[in-house]
Amino acid sequence: MRLRSALLSAALLLGLAGCATPPPATDREALQEFRANNDPLEPFNRAMFQVNDAIDMVALRPAAVVYRTVVPPPLRTGIRNALANLRAPTVLANDILQAQPERAFRTAARFAINSTLGLGGLIDVAEWQFGLPGHREDFGQTLAVWGLGEGPYLFLPVIGPSNPRDLVGLTVDAVASPWNWIGQGEVVEALRWARFGLTILDTREEVLDTLDEVRRTSLDPYSTIRSGYRQRRRAEISNQAGPELPSPSTGFGSVIPQTPADPGPR
Amino acid sequence: MTPPRLSRRTLFGAALLSLPALPALAQMDPNRAAAFIQATGQELVGVLNANAPVERRRAAVAEILRRSVDIEGTGRFILGRWWRAASPAEQAEFLRLFEEVLIRNLASRFGEYQGVQFALGRAQQRTEDDALVTTVVQRPGSAAFTLDWRVAEVNGQPRIVDLVAEGASLRLTQRSEYSAVIQRGGNQVGALLNAMRQQIAQLSR
Repeated sequence: MRLRSALLSAALLLGLAGCATPPPATDREALQEFRANNDPLEPFNRAMFQVNDAIDMVALRPAAVVYRTVVPPPLRTGIRNALANLRAPTVLANDILQAQPERAFRTAARFAINSTLGLGGLIDVAEWQFGLPGHREDFGQTLAVWGLGEGPYLFLPVIGPSNPRDLVGLTVDAVASPWNWIGQGEVVEALRWARFGLTILDTREEVLDTLDEVRRTSLDPYSTIRSGYRQRRRAEISNQAGPELPSPSTGFGSVIPQTPADPGPR
Repeated sequence: MTPPRLSRRTLFGAALLSLPALPALAQMDPNRAAAFIQATGQELVGVLNANAPVERRRAAVAEILRRSVDIEGTGRFILGRWWRAASPAEQAEFLRLFEEVLIRNLASRFGEYQGVQFALGRAQQRTEDDALVTTVVQRPGSAAFTLDWRVAEVNGQPRIVDLVAEGASLRLTQRSEYSAVIQRGGNQVGALLNAMRQQIAQLSR
């Protein structure tokens, strides 16, 4: 599997890159910051950040730019809606696992409305006509709600900023998604790949401006993304991210992909 | 119980003295904060959508930001633990560059912000000292997004001290970024100042 081989080579590189040295115990403020950053694998993560940058520059970003240029906005919105609708079962499962009946009900109602009146999810009728905005949930958030810590920060090529907890969440969501289990044959397989490809394009296109901005304005994009990812995940876990947000989670590790690899943020 | 109280008070006084001098902060009324963001936002949108030459618009934006953003308080917050490590000259230079970067960054995006609109959302008290005002920003051709403005009272006037987008606070993110630049530059505040100067030079090309 792609994820496993990625993790394996990651472990190998880890041995080469080594760990970050904590500051001396006498420098309490530095030590405090070191702990707050929670990035003991920083040398390795920075190396992966560079690898991701290279992949992004030659493949992901250009693809997203072409996608934005070629596909007209209404169609892109339709594709985004449809992809979100396909994630609904996963969101619903996580709503339930987090004991959020009201959110679960909203997710279920949205799925029913959008799959039918919304022409298979292309049109978000639930928000437009029924005032039911969508939200995101993933198993990483569920684990956090259950009290599991995030573990050390990780940056992985294509997946982007993450941590052990969110990586487990990503894998569980991918494996548990009903679309992996329903149907078989070449057509279904082709549809799975189409969804996977579109998820990558859509995700990368969604964060195109944000990441261009980070690249242009940040003096150290690596730490900007680390800090931004952490803060955003915290807001998502506590369900503080407003429903009117334009689905901000994509590209920051919380997308549920078809196969266990996920478009990166850059 | 005089002796313990005395020692406690002494300790408290010592703790106060060791804190960096902060500007006087008072309770921030959410309604006042909202009115302030409404007025400042209107002014900014007016300048961004104006048909004036870039130089003139940049000067106007600079003027608005100077009186609406708590540049010194925010700059100090962002430099964090390095503020005390910096010499007085470095502190002053940092604040000057911080303001310049802020203005230049906004000015470099005048084109993208053409036609920008915003709507005021709710305002709520966040801590004793500040209020969070939510706005929804809409640019032509792209999805609307929410932007939260943290407003504090500084010397009797409401001032912007932070921007929060999608759960991420700009001042926290920037503190992390600047600290990384300093640490990677051999724990020298000068390394950050150099990087900021380069950034300004690039932005003004």
